[in-house]
Amino acid sequence: MAMPMDFKTYVDQACKAAEEFVNIYYETMDKRRRVLTRLYLDKATLIWNGNVVTGLEALANFFDTLPSSEFQVNMLDCQPVHEQATQAQTTVLVVTSGTVKFDGNRQRYFNQSFLLTAQSTPNNTVWKIASDCFRFQDWASS
Amino acid sequence: MKAEGPAGQQYSPGDRCWYLGQGGGNGGGEKWLASGHTLREGPREFPDQLDVECGRKRARQAPSESIVQGKAGGRETVQEAVTSVPPDIKAPSALAKEVQLACWLLVESVWWLIGFGKHEREYSDGGRPPQGRKKGCSSFPGNSGKRSPHYEHGGGEPQPSHLQEDDGNVVKRDVQEDPEVRHSPCTIPGNERTVGWHSEGHMHMTVWGNRKPLEREMRENTQDGTPGSWFRVTIPYGVKYDRTWLMNSIQRHCSVPFTPVDFHFMHTGAEFFVQEASTASALMDVSNKICDEESRKIPVFVSPSAAPYSVQDKLKPEEMEQLKLTLSKRFDVSQQALDLRRLRVDPGLLGHDIDIILNQRSCMAATLQIIKKNFPELLSLNLSSNKLYQLDGLSDIIQMAPTVKILNLSKNKLKYLWELRKIKGLKLEELWLQGNPLCGTFPDQSTYVRAIREYFPKLLRLDGQELPSPVTVEVDTPYEVKPCKGSYFGSDKLKRQVLQFLQQFYLIHDYGDRQCLVGAYHHRAYFSLTIPFHPEDPAPSSLCEYFKDSRNMKKLSDPYLRVQLLKHTNRVIVHTLCVLPKTQHDLSSFVVDTWSQTETMLCFSVSGVFKEVEGSSQDCVRAFTRTFITTPASYSSLCIVNDELFVRDASPSETQSVFSIPAPTPTSSSMHTLSQEQQDIMQASSIPPEVNL
Repeated sequence: MAMPMDFKTYVDQACKAAEEFVNIYYETMDKRRRVLTRLYLDKATLIWNGNVVTGLEALANFFDTLPSSEFQVNMLDCQPVHEQATQAQTTVLVVTSGTVKFDGNRQRYFNQSFLLTAQSTPNNTVWKIASDCFRFQDWASS
Repeated sequence: MKAEGPAGQQYSPGDRCWYLGQGGGNGGGEKWLASGHTLREGPREFPDQLDVECGRKRARQAPSESIVQGKAGGRETVQEAVTSVPPDIKAPSALAKEVQLACWLLVESVWWLIGFGKHEREYSDGGRPPQGRKKGCSSFPGNSGKRSPHYEHGGGEPQPSHLQEDDGNVVKRDVQEDPEVRHSPCTIPGNERTVGWHSEGHMHMTVWGNRKPLEREMRENTQDGTPGSWFRVTIPYGVKYDRTWLMNSIQRHCSVPFTPVDFHFMHTGAEFFVQEASTASALMDVSNKICDEESRKIPVFVSPSAAPYSVQDKLKPEEMEQLKLTLSKRFDVSQQALDLRRLRVDPGLLGHDIDIILNQRSCMAATLQIIKKNFPELLSLNLSSNKLYQLDGLSDIIQMAPTVKILNLSKNKLKYLWELRKIKGLKLEELWLQGNPLCGTFPDQSTYVRAIREYFPKLLRLDGQELPSPVTVEVDTPYEVKPCKGSYFGSDKLKRQVLQFLQQFYLIHDYGDRQCLVGAYHHRAYFSLTIPFHPEDPAPSSLCEYFKDSRNMKKLSDPYLRVQLLKHTNRVIVHTLCVLPKTQHDLSSFVVDTWSQTETMLCFSVSGVFKEVEGSSQDCVRAFTRTFITTPASYSSLCIVNDELFVRDASPSETQSVFSIPAPTPTSSSMHTLSQEQQDIMQASSIPPEVNL
């Protein structure tokens, strides 16, 4: 199937979006937790260490209950998601890994994946999280 | 200078009067007069007050327990710079300490003499908070210049008390009939034995540091001549201090351990009772030994006294037993709640002729005692509708029932929020105060809430309403991270589908020819691989085999390389996979999160461990997280459109647990290339998942 733009540009665009997004996401998570849900679509879903959280309200409550955090990302990768899966909705897969320290808890390694979808307006493209998957690498130990 | 009496009497210097100071500003306010003293214009120590020197010819005339031998040399008369209690609780330094104390005690005792008939058996000062901090305010608490602070209930004007000069230690008064005054005008409740001023004209206060007269006082006290007489310990301005700190400090400095009884605040001072003269003496020695935060020495004064109310009015054993029974009926063990509403009229008490008035120290003390013994884990206490107007007795709750978190004081007679100070040590989560006079004194709800929060910062509910979280929300943030669970699939159907996929994929990946996986990928699929980048440790460890393909954008900034390392099309992907080290995955270690699903897409992430089975890193255990985005394909199988693989070194615990359950080792025949047909069969068959998920 033909791509609307050449491969390189396509990938570049995805990478830029991913990088910017990740910076904003973790900064918001750490420093402006209350507005974190703005980065999610209305019907977004989060699987957090096996716990399902669906919808903005549930997400807001969930993030409220999470202690304050300090994230450090040491791996970032992204891929444009094939349109066969996304039904022409421009989507990027973002995968991160690093460490997080929640207040009152020890520092832990985590893995996280996002599906970002583009919401285009004439002026710019806004990326929002459609799905989110987070897990501690040592989730089985407390 | 003239002074005006409450009835408009004019007094000039030289007149006999007893002038206690002037309230509220120059020229205004009210004055208290009693005969026996001479009015004299003296130096003004405080802008709003007059000093009065009182002359007394006869030493025995002293009308109160607080008059002290004057310091001015050469004077016969007892000199007294009488001021009302200093407007600022911080002791003014101008006057000699003893005289200040004298004044303070004088005032206290006058209030006691004049006002408290209705509050028999109670120590309270009417619940008024000390107003020492108000500038220029008279230290008659509650003195608005209009009415007597003693007659709280809108009673009449204060009457001059004509203290009779008497031989004995009895004070007579002409008191205008006030219905509130219940006790006989001729006696001071509980105080008959307090005043030892019949001896040599010394007030007992002069025995500071001088033990002998105290013991002499004791001998002369015939009423409680039994050993174990009681003593009142007074700390002037004690209301400034935190009760726990104060008592601990005193205990520390006191050579004899003691048990304070009936601790209460009296205007600006704190008081409690002890038994035994030896204890009393030891406590006297503590005076001026303790320094407060401002490095001021704290005086402690001791005098003989009647037994404290909780002792005097102690319930008889059978009464205690009945009270215990009554309380038990009102106790809800499932809620750990005790309902003491309208306790006085409980039939269990009335029927046995037991009068439990919770305002009275003895009754409150008995109740708390029973709580401590029988309901030691009390959570909720309801004291509504008990006509409580002060919380001195309740202050012992901090020792007797510290577990209380829910307290209902509604529909009582509490006038001042300051009363809460007395129970400040309780860690309340829920409080009810509505229906008390104090509620009407706040201009709005938020002021009310804020004021209460000063006493109980962790309060969650007030008068039945959830409180908005306080500003200090950072302090209250949770520490609990939600518990972690294992795999999430969303439905059993998905679970079967995903597990089947993974089993087949890894079977080929580990034991077959990875070339065969080309059928598993969409022909325009994407694949990339990353390893972690640790800024402190940039050199990759043993992950060098993966390093060259790692597309970790945290490390890789070259856009060209970023494009290059994103493998595109199934052939390229499979070619990359074939070059990667040979592996053996431990399916029992897999945890799967199925985190996005639409009609056209199923997205899931797998985490687990694998072993490298050949090459330089043979037997190295790695951990991985692999994210697959798939679309539905024929035969209910899945077609991979995106594949992202993250590989890291396994942790020691991960290494240990790997392959603890023997992995299904395929027969040697399956090591060969699987034919397309065989692949199809594998894809379509429903192999029960052996993955331990």
